[in-house]
Amino acid sequence: MLETRALNKSFGAIHVTKGVSLRLEKGERRVILGPNGAGKTTLFNQLVGELTPNSGSIHLDGADITALRVADRARLGLSRSYQKNTLFDGLTIGENLGLSAAVALGKGQGLWRDPLQSAEVRETVKEVAAQVDLAPLLAMPVNAVSYGIRRQLEVGIALSTRPKFILMDEPTSGVGPEMSKGFHRLLKALPRDLTVLIIEHDMDLAFDVADTITVLNYGEVVFDGLPGAARDSQLLKDIYLGAWEDA
Amino acid sequence: MFTHTPLRLTTLATLAIGALAYAFVAGFFGLEILAEIAILAILVIALDLVAGFGGMLSLCHGALLGVGAYAFTVAAKDAGLSAFPAMVLAVALSAALAFVIGAVCARSIGIYFIMATLAFGQMAYSFVFQSPLFGGDDGLSGAPRPDLTAIGIDLTDSRAFAIYAIALVALTYLVAASTLRSGLGRSLVGLHHNEKRLRALGLTVWRAKATAFAISGALAGLAGCLAAQHTQYISPGLLSWTVSGEALVVVILGGLGTLAGPIVGAILFVVLKHEISAITPYWHAIVGLILIAVVMSRANGVFGYVEARMAARAAKPTLEKAKADA
Repeated sequence: MLETRALNKSFGAIHVTKGVSLRLEKGERRVILGPNGAGKTTLFNQLVGELTPNSGSIHLDGADITALRVADRARLGLSRSYQKNTLFDGLTIGENLGLSAAVALGKGQGLWRDPLQSAEVRETVKEVAAQVDLAPLLAMPVNAVSYGIRRQLEVGIALSTRPKFILMDEPTSGVGPEMSKGFHRLLKALPRDLTVLIIEHDMDLAFDVADTITVLNYGEVVFDGLPGAARDSQLLKDIYLGAWEDA
Repeated sequence: MFTHTPLRLTTLATLAIGALAYAFVAGFFGLEILAEIAILAILVIALDLVAGFGGMLSLCHGALLGVGAYAFTVAAKDAGLSAFPAMVLAVALSAALAFVIGAVCARSIGIYFIMATLAFGQMAYSFVFQSPLFGGDDGLSGAPRPDLTAIGIDLTDSRAFAIYAIALVALTYLVAASTLRSGLGRSLVGLHHNEKRLRALGLTVWRAKATAFAISGALAGLAGCLAAQHTQYISPGLLSWTVSGEALVVVILGGLGTLAGPIVGAILFVVLKHEISAITPYWHAIVGLILIAVVMSRANGVFGYVEARMAARAAKPTLEKAKADA
Protein backbone atom coordinates (compact mmCIF):
# COMPACT_ATOMS: atom_id res chain seq x y z
CA MET A 1 0.00 0.00 0.00
CA LEU A 2 1.32 3.43 -0.98
CA GLU A 3 -0.27 6.49 0.55
CA THR A 4 0.26 10.23 0.68
CA ARG A 5 -1.40 12.46 3.26
CA ALA A 6 -1.94 16.16 2.57
CA LEU A 7 1.29 16.54 0.61
CA ASN A 8 2.40 20.10 -0.14
CA LYS A 9 5.35 21.35 -2.13
CA SER A 10 6.26 24.87 -3.20
CA PHE A 11 9.08 26.25 -5.24
CA GLY A 12 9.23 29.81 -3.97
CA ALA A 13 5.84 31.36 -4.65
CA ILE A 14 4.75 28.54 -6.95
CA HIS A 15 2.62 25.97 -5.15
CA VAL A 16 3.20 22.80 -7.17
CA THR A 17 1.62 20.17 -4.95
CA LYS A 18 -1.48 21.25 -3.03
CA GLY A 19 -2.71 18.95 -0.29
CA VAL A 20 -2.43 15.77 -2.35
CA SER A 21 -3.80 12.70 -0.59
CA LEU A 22 -3.67 9.44 -2.50
CA ARG A 23 -4.05 5.84 -1.50
CA LEU A 24 -2.98 2.94 -3.69
CA GLU A 25 -3.91 -0.58 -2.63
CA LYS A 26 -1.57 -3.48 -3.26
CA GLY A 27 -1.77 -4.55 -6.90
CA GLU A 28 -3.66 -1.46 -7.95
CA ARG A 29 -2.85 0.08 -11.32
CA ARG A 30 -3.39 3.78 -11.28
CA VAL A 31 -2.86 6.32 -14.00
CA ILE A 32 -2.24 9.97 -13.17
CA LEU A 33 -3.52 12.35 -15.81
CA GLY A 34 -3.16 16.07 -15.98
CA PRO A 35 -2.05 18.85 -18.29
CA ASN A 36 1.55 19.99 -18.52
CA GLY A 37 2.64 21.71 -15.34
CA ALA A 38 -0.01 20.02 -13.21
CA GLY A 39 2.67 18.78 -10.82
CA LYS A 40 2.71 15.11 -11.81
CA THR A 41 6.49 14.65 -11.97
CA THR A 42 6.95 16.77 -8.85
CA LEU A 43 4.61 14.39 -7.04
CA PHE A 44 6.68 11.42 -8.27
CA ASN A 45 9.90 13.05 -7.14
CA GLN A 46 8.44 13.40 -3.65
CA LEU A 47 7.24 9.80 -3.61
CA VAL A 48 10.73 8.44 -4.40
CA GLY A 49 12.54 10.97 -2.22
CA GLU A 50 14.26 13.10 -4.83
CA LEU A 51 12.29 16.06 -3.46
CA THR A 52 11.21 16.69 0.12
CA PRO A 53 7.65 17.92 0.61
CA ASN A 54 7.08 21.11 2.60
CA SER A 55 4.38 19.35 4.60
CA GLY A 56 2.41 16.15 4.64
CA SER A 57 3.62 12.57 4.75
CA ILE A 58 4.24 9.52 2.57
CA HIS A 59 3.56 5.99 3.76
CA LEU A 60 4.65 2.66 2.34
CA ASP A 61 2.90 -0.42 3.73
CA GLY A 62 1.90 1.61 6.76
CA ALA A 63 5.41 2.91 7.58
CA ASP A 64 6.13 6.63 7.34
CA ILE A 65 8.88 7.00 4.73
CA THR A 66 8.77 10.79 4.39
CA ALA A 67 12.21 11.19 5.99
CA LEU A 68 13.88 8.29 4.16
CA ARG A 69 16.43 8.93 1.46
CA VAL A 70 16.12 7.82 -2.15
CA ALA A 71 18.27 4.69 -1.80
CA ASP A 72 16.49 3.62 1.41
CA ARG A 73 13.08 3.90 -0.26
CA ALA A 74 14.38 1.93 -3.25
CA ARG A 75 15.45 -0.87 -0.91
CA LEU A 76 11.88 -1.04 0.41
CA GLY A 77 10.77 -2.03 -3.09
CA LEU A 78 9.93 1.35 -4.58
CA SER A 79 11.17 1.68 -8.13
CA ARG A 80 10.75 4.36 -10.77
CA SER A 81 11.36 5.09 -14.41
CA TYR A 82 12.07 8.59 -15.69
CA GLN A 83 10.31 10.79 -18.21
CA LYS A 84 13.72 11.61 -19.67
CA ASN A 85 15.85 8.49 -20.27
CA THR A 86 18.23 8.01 -17.35
CA LEU A 87 20.43 5.13 -18.47
CA PHE A 88 24.04 3.98 -18.08
CA ASP A 89 25.12 5.30 -21.43
CA GLY A 90 28.55 3.74 -21.92
CA LEU A 91 27.35 0.22 -21.12
CA THR A 92 25.48 -2.46 -23.03
CA ILE A 93 21.77 -3.13 -22.55
CA GLY A 94 22.60 -6.35 -20.71
CA GLU A 95 25.04 -4.53 -18.41
CA ASN A 96 22.42 -1.86 -17.71
CA LEU A 97 19.92 -4.48 -16.56
CA GLY A 98 22.58 -6.56 -14.79
CA LEU A 99 23.99 -3.63 -12.84
CA SER A 100 20.49 -2.55 -11.81
CA ALA A 101 19.55 -6.04 -10.69
CA ALA A 102 22.86 -6.45 -8.83
CA VAL A 103 22.43 -3.20 -6.92
CA ALA A 104 18.82 -4.02 -6.07
CA LEU A 105 19.89 -7.44 -4.80
CA GLY A 106 22.37 -5.73 -2.46
CA LYS A 107 25.39 -6.88 -4.45
CA GLY A 108 26.46 -3.37 -5.41
CA GLN A 109 29.14 -3.08 -2.72
CA GLY A 110 30.49 -6.63 -2.70
CA LEU A 111 34.24 -7.07 -3.05
CA TRP A 112 34.65 -10.68 -4.11
CA ARG A 113 32.28 -12.05 -6.70
CA ASP A 114 31.27 -10.59 -10.03
CA PRO A 115 27.53 -10.00 -9.58
CA LEU A 116 26.98 -9.96 -13.34
CA GLN A 117 27.94 -13.65 -13.36
CA SER A 118 25.69 -14.64 -10.46
CA ALA A 119 22.76 -16.93 -11.28
CA GLU A 120 20.25 -14.61 -9.60
CA VAL A 121 21.28 -11.56 -11.61
CA ARG A 122 21.48 -13.45 -14.90
CA GLU A 123 18.03 -14.91 -14.32
CA THR A 124 16.60 -11.44 -13.60
CA VAL A 125 18.25 -9.97 -16.70
CA LYS A 126 16.79 -12.76 -18.83
CA GLU A 127 13.28 -12.32 -17.45
CA VAL A 128 13.24 -8.54 -17.62
CA ALA A 129 14.73 -8.56 -21.13
CA ALA A 130 11.86 -10.81 -22.21
CA GLN A 131 9.32 -8.53 -20.48
CA VAL A 132 10.50 -5.37 -22.22
CA ASP A 133 11.27 -7.12 -25.49
CA LEU A 134 15.03 -6.57 -25.46
CA ALA A 135 16.25 -10.18 -25.29
CA PRO A 136 18.03 -10.18 -28.69
CA LEU A 137 19.75 -6.84 -27.97
CA LEU A 138 21.51 -7.49 -24.67
CA ALA A 139 25.00 -7.13 -26.16
CA MET A 140 24.22 -3.80 -27.86
CA PRO A 141 25.81 -0.67 -26.40
CA VAL A 142 23.12 1.72 -25.19
CA ASN A 143 24.47 4.66 -27.18
CA ALA A 144 24.14 2.66 -30.41
CA VAL A 145 20.40 1.92 -30.20
CA SER A 146 17.32 3.92 -31.17
CA TYR A 147 15.32 6.17 -28.87
CA GLY A 148 12.46 3.69 -28.71
CA ILE A 149 14.74 0.91 -27.51
CA ARG A 150 16.26 3.22 -24.94
CA ARG A 151 12.70 3.93 -23.77
CA GLN A 152 12.07 0.20 -23.33
CA LEU A 153 15.32 -0.10 -21.39
CA GLU A 154 14.27 2.81 -19.17
CA VAL A 155 11.30 0.74 -18.00
CA GLY A 156 13.43 -2.42 -17.96
CA ILE A 157 15.88 -0.91 -15.47
CA ALA A 158 12.99 0.00 -13.17
CA LEU A 159 11.62 -3.56 -13.44
CA SER A 160 15.00 -5.22 -12.88
CA THR A 161 14.88 -4.33 -9.19
CA ARG A 162 11.89 -6.68 -8.81
CA PRO A 163 9.93 -3.89 -7.15
CA LYS A 164 6.75 -4.05 -5.08
CA PHE A 165 5.77 -0.57 -6.27
CA ILE A 166 6.67 0.84 -9.64
CA LEU A 167 6.25 4.46 -10.66
CA MET A 168 6.52 5.17 -14.38
CA ASP A 169 6.83 8.71 -15.62
CA GLU A 170 5.36 8.92 -19.13
CA PRO A 171 6.82 5.61 -20.27
CA THR A 172 5.56 6.02 -23.82
CA SER A 173 6.50 9.65 -24.33
CA GLY A 174 8.02 10.18 -27.74
CA VAL A 175 7.43 6.69 -29.10
CA GLY A 176 5.20 5.63 -31.98
CA PRO A 177 1.76 3.96 -31.75
CA GLU A 178 3.20 0.48 -32.39
CA MET A 179 5.50 0.72 -29.41
CA SER A 180 2.71 2.21 -27.35
CA LYS A 181 0.65 -0.90 -28.02
CA GLY A 182 3.57 -3.08 -27.05
CA PHE A 183 3.75 -1.15 -23.84
CA HIS A 184 0.06 -1.84 -23.11
CA ARG A 185 0.81 -5.55 -23.49
CA LEU A 186 3.80 -5.24 -21.16
CA LEU A 187 1.67 -3.54 -18.51
CA LYS A 188 -1.08 -6.13 -18.73
CA ALA A 189 1.47 -8.93 -18.36
CA LEU A 190 2.99 -7.51 -15.16
CA PRO A 191 2.37 -9.57 -12.03
CA ARG A 192 -1.01 -8.75 -10.51
CA ASP A 193 0.45 -8.05 -7.06
CA LEU A 194 2.75 -5.29 -8.35
CA THR A 195 1.39 -1.84 -7.51
CA VAL A 196 1.71 0.45 -10.52
CA LEU A 197 1.49 4.21 -10.73
CA ILE A 198 1.84 5.74 -14.19
CA ILE A 199 1.95 9.31 -15.39
CA GLU A 200 0.47 9.41 -18.86
CA HIS A 201 -0.71 11.70 -21.57
CA ASP A 202 -2.04 8.82 -23.63
CA MET A 203 -5.76 8.64 -22.79
CA ASP A 204 -6.19 5.26 -24.48
CA LEU A 205 -3.56 3.78 -22.23
CA ALA A 206 -5.21 5.31 -19.21
CA PHE A 207 -8.61 3.84 -20.03
CA ASP A 208 -7.15 0.54 -21.23
CA VAL A 209 -4.92 -0.47 -18.34
CA ALA A 210 -5.92 1.60 -15.34
CA ASP A 211 -7.93 0.25 -12.43
CA THR A 212 -8.28 3.80 -11.18
CA ILE A 213 -7.51 7.27 -12.45
CA THR A 214 -6.32 10.37 -10.63
CA VAL A 215 -6.39 13.73 -12.35
CA LEU A 216 -4.14 16.54 -11.21
CA ASN A 217 -4.67 20.16 -12.18
CA TYR A 218 -2.59 23.04 -10.81
CA GLY A 219 -1.15 20.70 -8.21
CA GLU A 220 -4.51 19.59 -6.87
CA VAL A 221 -6.33 16.28 -7.14
CA VAL A 222 -9.48 17.18 -9.07
CA PHE A 223 -10.63 13.66 -9.83
CA ASP A 224 -10.03 10.32 -8.20
CA GLY A 225 -12.04 7.33 -9.34
CA LEU A 226 -12.79 4.61 -11.87
CA PRO A 227 -11.92 5.01 -15.56
CA GLY A 228 -15.59 4.81 -16.53
CA ALA A 229 -16.44 7.74 -14.30
CA ALA A 230 -13.45 9.66 -15.61
CA ARG A 231 -14.58 9.18 -19.18
CA ASP A 232 -17.98 10.66 -18.39
CA SER A 233 -16.70 13.40 -16.12
CA GLN A 234 -17.48 16.86 -17.42
CA LEU A 235 -14.81 18.29 -15.13
CA LEU A 236 -12.15 16.12 -16.71
CA LYS A 237 -13.30 17.07 -20.18
CA ASP A 238 -13.11 20.73 -19.30
CA ILE A 239 -9.63 20.75 -17.86
CA TYR A 240 -7.95 17.99 -19.77
CA LEU A 241 -9.75 17.36 -23.01
CA GLY A 242 -11.16 20.81 -23.44
CA ALA A 243 -8.22 22.08 -25.39
CA TRP A 244 -8.47 19.17 -27.80
CA GLU A 245 -12.22 19.47 -28.35
CA ASP A 246 -11.94 23.16 -28.99
CA ALA A 247 -9.25 22.56 -31.55
CA MET B 1 32.39 -2.42 -17.84
CA PHE B 2 35.92 -3.65 -17.24
CA THR B 3 36.91 -6.71 -19.28
CA HIS B 4 40.15 -8.43 -20.12
CA THR B 5 40.25 -8.20 -23.89
CA PRO B 6 42.82 -10.34 -25.71
CA LEU B 7 44.74 -7.14 -26.49
CA ARG B 8 44.92 -6.22 -22.80
CA LEU B 9 46.02 -9.70 -21.75
CA THR B 10 48.67 -9.78 -24.49
CA THR B 11 49.92 -6.36 -23.45
CA LEU B 12 50.11 -7.35 -19.79
CA ALA B 13 51.90 -10.61 -20.55
CA THR B 14 54.36 -8.81 -22.84
CA LEU B 15 55.03 -6.14 -20.23
CA ALA B 16 55.55 -8.70 -17.47
CA ILE B 17 57.91 -10.87 -19.52
CA GLY B 18 59.71 -7.82 -20.91
CA ALA B 19 60.18 -6.28 -17.46
CA LEU B 20 61.47 -9.52 -15.94
CA ALA B 21 63.78 -10.20 -18.88
CA TYR B 22 65.12 -6.66 -18.64
CA ALA B 23 65.60 -7.03 -14.88
CA PHE B 24 67.96 -9.95 -15.50
CA VAL B 25 70.14 -8.21 -18.06
CA ALA B 26 70.04 -4.56 -17.02
CA GLY B 27 72.89 -2.74 -15.32
CA PHE B 28 72.55 -0.67 -12.15
CA PHE B 29 71.11 2.39 -13.87
CA GLY B 30 68.56 0.31 -15.80
CA LEU B 31 67.45 -1.41 -12.61
CA GLU B 32 66.97 1.92 -10.88
CA ILE B 33 64.77 3.04 -13.75
CA LEU B 34 62.83 -0.21 -13.58
CA ALA B 35 62.11 0.36 -9.89
CA GLU B 36 61.10 3.95 -10.61
CA ILE B 37 58.70 2.77 -13.31
CA ALA B 38 57.25 0.15 -10.94
CA ILE B 39 56.55 2.73 -8.23
CA LEU B 40 54.87 5.07 -10.70
CA ALA B 41 52.94 2.15 -12.25
CA ILE B 42 51.46 1.20 -8.88
CA LEU B 43 50.42 4.80 -8.25
CA VAL B 44 48.78 5.22 -11.66
CA ILE B 45 46.94 1.90 -11.49
CA ALA B 46 45.54 3.12 -8.17
CA LEU B 47 44.56 6.44 -9.74
CA ASP B 48 43.03 4.86 -12.87
CA LEU B 49 40.79 2.73 -10.65
CA VAL B 50 38.98 5.78 -9.28
CA ALA B 51 39.63 8.37 -12.01
CA GLY B 52 39.37 6.29 -15.18
CA PHE B 53 36.62 3.93 -14.10
CA GLY B 54 34.81 5.92 -11.40
CA GLY B 55 35.22 9.40 -12.85
CA MET B 56 36.71 10.61 -9.57
CA LEU B 57 39.66 12.70 -10.71
CA SER B 58 41.85 12.93 -7.64
CA LEU B 59 44.61 15.38 -6.90
CA CYS B 60 45.49 13.82 -3.56
CA HIS B 61 47.06 10.55 -4.68
CA GLY B 62 50.52 12.04 -4.20
CA ALA B 63 49.57 12.76 -0.59
CA LEU B 64 48.25 9.22 -0.14
CA LEU B 65 51.53 7.89 -1.51
CA GLY B 66 53.45 10.22 0.80
CA VAL B 67 51.44 9.17 3.84
CA GLY B 68 52.28 5.56 3.02
CA ALA B 69 55.96 6.40 2.66
CA TYR B 70 56.12 8.35 5.92
CA ALA B 71 54.02 5.85 7.87
CA PHE B 72 56.25 3.04 6.66
CA THR B 73 59.46 4.85 7.51
CA VAL B 74 58.28 5.93 10.96
CA ALA B 75 56.85 2.51 11.79
CA ALA B 76 59.95 0.65 10.60
CA LYS B 77 62.62 3.01 11.87
CA ASP B 78 61.23 4.68 14.99
CA ALA B 79 58.65 2.14 16.16
CA GLY B 80 60.98 -0.72 15.38
CA LEU B 81 58.53 -2.84 13.41
CA SER B 82 60.00 -5.14 10.81
CA ALA B 83 59.40 -4.15 7.21
CA PHE B 84 56.32 -6.21 6.31
CA PRO B 85 54.18 -5.32 9.37
CA ALA B 86 55.24 -1.71 8.83
CA MET B 87 54.05 -1.93 5.22
CA VAL B 88 50.70 -3.37 6.31
CA LEU B 89 50.32 -0.54 8.81
CA ALA B 90 51.26 2.11 6.24
CA VAL B 91 48.89 0.70 3.62
CA ALA B 92 46.07 0.55 6.19
CA LEU B 93 46.68 4.16 7.20
CA SER B 94 46.60 5.38 3.59
CA ALA B 95 43.40 3.37 3.04
CA ALA B 96 41.75 4.84 6.14
CA LEU B 97 42.68 8.37 5.13
CA ALA B 98 41.43 7.74 1.59
CA PHE B 99 38.14 6.38 2.96
CA VAL B 100 37.59 9.60 4.90
CA ILE B 101 38.54 11.75 1.90
CA GLY B 102 36.28 9.66 -0.35
CA ALA B 103 33.36 9.87 2.07
CA VAL B 104 33.65 13.64 2.45
CA CYS B 105 34.19 14.32 -1.26
CA ALA B 106 31.50 11.84 -2.39
CA ARG B 107 28.89 14.58 -2.55
CA SER B 108 30.83 16.72 -4.96
CA ILE B 109 31.49 15.94 -8.58
CA GLY B 110 33.67 17.22 -11.42
CA ILE B 111 35.81 20.25 -10.72
CA TYR B 112 34.54 20.46 -7.12
CA PHE B 113 35.66 16.91 -6.45
CA ILE B 114 39.11 17.71 -7.85
CA MET B 115 39.37 20.83 -5.68
CA ALA B 116 38.24 19.00 -2.54
CA THR B 117 40.83 16.25 -3.06
CA LEU B 118 43.47 18.91 -3.75
CA ALA B 119 42.61 20.60 -0.45
CA PHE B 120 42.95 17.31 1.45
CA GLY B 121 46.25 16.60 -0.27
CA GLN B 122 47.66 20.00 0.58
CA MET B 123 46.54 19.62 4.20
CA ALA B 124 48.49 16.37 4.45
CA TYR B 125 51.47 17.99 2.72
CA SER B 126 51.63 20.98 5.08
CA PHE B 127 51.14 18.78 8.12
CA VAL B 128 54.11 16.59 7.20
CA PHE B 129 56.13 19.62 6.15
CA GLN B 130 55.50 21.52 9.41
CA SER B 131 55.53 18.75 11.96
CA PRO B 132 58.85 18.24 13.78
CA LEU B 133 57.95 14.56 14.11
CA PHE B 134 58.67 13.95 10.45
CA GLY B 135 61.89 15.89 9.97
CA GLY B 136 60.14 18.80 8.23
CA ASP B 137 61.87 20.06 5.15
CA ASP B 138 64.84 17.73 5.72
CA GLY B 139 62.75 14.61 5.33
CA LEU B 140 63.59 11.26 6.85
CA SER B 141 66.20 8.75 5.91
CA GLY B 142 66.87 5.16 6.77
CA ALA B 143 63.72 3.37 5.65
CA PRO B 144 64.68 -0.30 5.57
CA ARG B 145 64.05 -2.76 2.77
CA PRO B 146 62.27 -5.99 3.71
CA ASP B 147 64.61 -8.75 4.85
CA LEU B 148 64.09 -11.79 2.65
CA THR B 149 67.47 -13.40 3.32
CA ALA B 150 65.64 -16.31 4.95
CA ILE B 151 64.52 -17.37 1.46
CA GLY B 152 67.82 -16.43 -0.12
CA ILE B 153 66.81 -13.05 -1.53
CA ASP B 154 68.85 -9.96 -0.73
CA LEU B 155 66.72 -6.90 -1.46
CA THR B 156 69.65 -4.53 -0.96
CA ASP B 157 70.76 -5.82 -4.34
CA SER B 158 69.16 -3.62 -7.00
CA ARG B 159 68.35 -6.56 -9.29
CA ALA B 160 66.44 -8.36 -6.55
CA PHE B 161 64.75 -5.10 -5.58
CA ALA B 162 63.62 -4.43 -9.16
CA ILE B 163 62.08 -7.90 -9.41
CA TYR B 164 60.39 -7.41 -6.04
CA ALA B 165 59.00 -4.09 -7.33
CA ILE B 166 57.67 -5.79 -10.47
CA ALA B 167 55.97 -8.40 -8.26
CA LEU B 168 54.26 -5.59 -6.33
CA VAL B 169 53.03 -4.06 -9.61
CA ALA B 170 51.53 -7.44 -10.50
CA LEU B 171 49.87 -7.64 -7.07
CA THR B 172 48.50 -4.12 -7.49
CA TYR B 173 47.11 -4.95 -10.90
CA LEU B 174 45.39 -8.07 -9.54
CA VAL B 175 43.80 -6.10 -6.68
CA ALA B 176 42.58 -3.38 -9.07
CA ALA B 177 41.27 -5.84 -11.66
CA SER B 178 39.45 -7.98 -9.12
CA THR B 179 37.94 -4.86 -7.54
CA LEU B 180 36.66 -3.82 -10.96
CA ARG B 181 35.07 -7.22 -11.50
CA SER B 182 33.37 -7.16 -8.09
CA GLY B 183 29.99 -5.69 -7.26
CA LEU B 184 31.70 -2.55 -6.03
CA GLY B 185 33.66 -2.23 -9.27
CA ARG B 186 30.52 -2.65 -11.36
CA SER B 187 28.79 0.03 -9.27
CA LEU B 188 31.84 2.29 -9.60
CA VAL B 189 31.58 2.22 -13.40
CA GLY B 190 27.83 2.77 -13.11
CA LEU B 191 28.42 5.79 -10.85
CA HIS B 192 30.63 7.32 -13.53
CA HIS B 193 27.76 7.06 -16.01
CA ASN B 194 24.72 7.80 -13.90
CA GLU B 195 24.92 8.43 -10.19
CA LYS B 196 21.31 9.55 -9.86
CA ARG B 197 19.95 6.33 -11.32
CA LEU B 198 22.12 4.13 -9.09
CA ARG B 199 20.83 5.98 -6.07
CA ALA B 200 17.27 5.42 -7.25
CA LEU B 201 18.11 1.71 -7.59
CA GLY B 202 19.12 1.57 -3.94
CA LEU B 203 22.89 2.09 -3.87
CA THR B 204 24.38 3.94 -0.90
CA VAL B 205 26.47 6.13 -3.14
CA TRP B 206 28.82 7.72 -0.61
CA ARG B 207 29.83 4.35 0.80
CA ALA B 208 30.56 2.86 -2.62
CA LYS B 209 32.68 5.88 -3.53
CA ALA B 210 34.52 5.92 -0.20
CA THR B 211 35.27 2.19 -0.34
CA ALA B 212 36.60 2.44 -3.89
CA PHE B 213 38.69 5.43 -2.87
CA ALA B 214 40.03 3.48 0.13
CA ILE B 215 41.16 0.58 -2.08
CA SER B 216 42.82 3.05 -4.41
CA GLY B 217 44.40 4.81 -1.42
CA ALA B 218 45.74 1.52 -0.09
CA LEU B 219 47.49 0.90 -3.42
CA ALA B 220 48.87 4.45 -3.45
CA GLY B 221 50.15 3.80 0.08
CA LEU B 222 51.85 0.64 -1.20
CA ALA B 223 53.56 2.72 -3.88
CA GLY B 224 54.72 5.00 -1.05
CA CYS B 225 56.23 2.10 0.90
CA LEU B 226 58.08 0.98 -2.21
CA ALA B 227 59.29 4.54 -2.88
CA ALA B 228 60.63 4.80 0.69
CA GLN B 229 62.37 1.44 0.36
CA HIS B 230 63.79 2.34 -3.02
CA THR B 231 65.55 5.61 -2.21
CA GLN B 232 65.66 5.00 1.56
CA TYR B 233 65.13 8.72 1.94
CA ILE B 234 61.79 10.54 1.88
CA SER B 235 60.87 14.20 1.84
CA PRO B 236 57.59 16.16 2.02
CA GLY B 237 57.88 16.65 -1.75
CA LEU B 238 56.39 13.15 -2.12
CA LEU B 239 53.06 14.49 -0.84
CA SER B 240 53.10 17.48 -3.12
CA TRP B 241 50.18 17.99 -5.46
CA THR B 242 52.60 17.97 -8.39
CA VAL B 243 53.10 14.24 -7.75
CA SER B 244 49.32 13.81 -8.09
CA GLY B 245 49.29 15.98 -11.19
CA GLU B 246 52.08 13.98 -12.74
CA ALA B 247 50.22 10.74 -11.99
CA LEU B 248 47.15 12.15 -13.72
CA VAL B 249 49.29 13.08 -16.74
CA VAL B 250 50.62 9.52 -16.89
CA VAL B 251 47.13 8.00 -16.68
CA ILE B 252 45.91 10.26 -19.51
CA LEU B 253 49.05 9.58 -21.55
CA GLY B 254 48.51 5.82 -21.19
CA GLY B 255 44.72 5.69 -21.47
CA LEU B 256 42.06 6.43 -18.83
CA GLY B 257 39.95 3.51 -17.72
CA THR B 258 42.05 0.78 -19.31
CA LEU B 259 44.20 -0.27 -16.34
CA ALA B 260 46.89 -1.64 -18.70
CA GLY B 261 47.24 1.75 -20.40
CA PRO B 262 48.54 3.63 -17.36
CA ILE B 263 51.33 1.03 -16.97
CA VAL B 264 52.33 1.76 -20.57
CA GLY B 265 52.08 5.45 -19.68
CA ALA B 266 54.38 4.99 -16.68
CA ILE B 267 57.03 3.30 -18.84
CA LEU B 268 56.79 6.01 -21.50
CA PHE B 269 56.91 8.81 -18.95
CA VAL B 270 59.93 7.56 -17.01
CA VAL B 271 61.88 6.55 -20.12
CA LEU B 272 61.11 9.84 -21.88
CA LYS B 273 62.06 11.76 -18.77
CA HIS B 274 65.47 10.09 -18.59
CA GLU B 275 66.14 10.15 -22.32
CA ILE B 276 65.08 13.74 -22.88
CA SER B 277 66.65 15.12 -19.71
CA ALA B 278 69.96 13.69 -20.95
CA ILE B 279 69.65 15.97 -23.98
CA THR B 280 68.02 19.07 -22.55
CA PRO B 281 67.13 20.33 -19.07
CA TYR B 282 63.75 21.44 -20.51
CA TRP B 283 62.39 17.91 -20.60
CA HIS B 284 59.11 19.02 -18.97
CA ALA B 285 58.37 21.16 -22.00
CA ILE B 286 58.91 18.22 -24.37
CA VAL B 287 56.74 15.92 -22.25
CA GLY B 288 54.16 18.71 -22.20
CA LEU B 289 54.16 18.90 -25.99
CA ILE B 290 53.72 15.13 -26.22
CA LEU B 291 50.81 15.28 -23.77
CA ILE B 292 49.14 18.05 -25.78
CA ALA B 293 49.57 15.99 -28.95
CA VAL B 294 48.00 12.95 -27.26
CA VAL B 295 45.07 14.95 -25.90
CA MET B 296 44.52 16.79 -29.20
CA SER B 297 44.51 13.50 -31.12
CA ARG B 298 41.22 12.72 -29.31
CA ALA B 299 42.47 9.23 -28.64
CA ASN B 300 42.21 7.80 -25.14
CA GLY B 301 45.96 7.92 -24.61
CA VAL B 302 48.54 5.75 -26.30
CA PHE B 303 47.00 2.45 -25.26
CA GLY B 304 43.46 3.70 -25.92
CA TYR B 305 44.57 4.63 -29.43
CA VAL B 306 45.84 1.10 -30.08
CA GLU B 307 42.63 -0.37 -28.63
CA ALA B 308 40.48 1.83 -30.86
CA ARG B 309 42.52 0.89 -33.95
CA MET B 310 42.27 -2.81 -33.16
CA ALA B 311 38.51 -2.52 -32.54
CA ALA B 312 38.06 -0.69 -35.85
CA ARG B 313 39.96 -3.42 -37.64
CA ALA B 314 37.94 -6.14 -35.94
CA ALA B 315 34.64 -4.41 -36.79
CA LYS B 316 35.44 -4.03 -40.48
CA PRO B 317 34.51 -7.53 -41.73
CA THR B 318 30.94 -7.29 -40.40
CA LEU B 319 30.47 -3.91 -42.05
CA GLU B 320 31.68 -5.27 -45.35
CA LYS B 321 29.44 -8.27 -44.92
CA ALA B 322 26.45 -6.00 -44.24
CA LYS B 323 27.27 -4.09 -47.42
CA ALA B 324 27.55 -7.30 -49.38
CA ASP B 325 24.22 -8.47 -48.00
CA ALA B 326 22.53 -5.20 -48.93
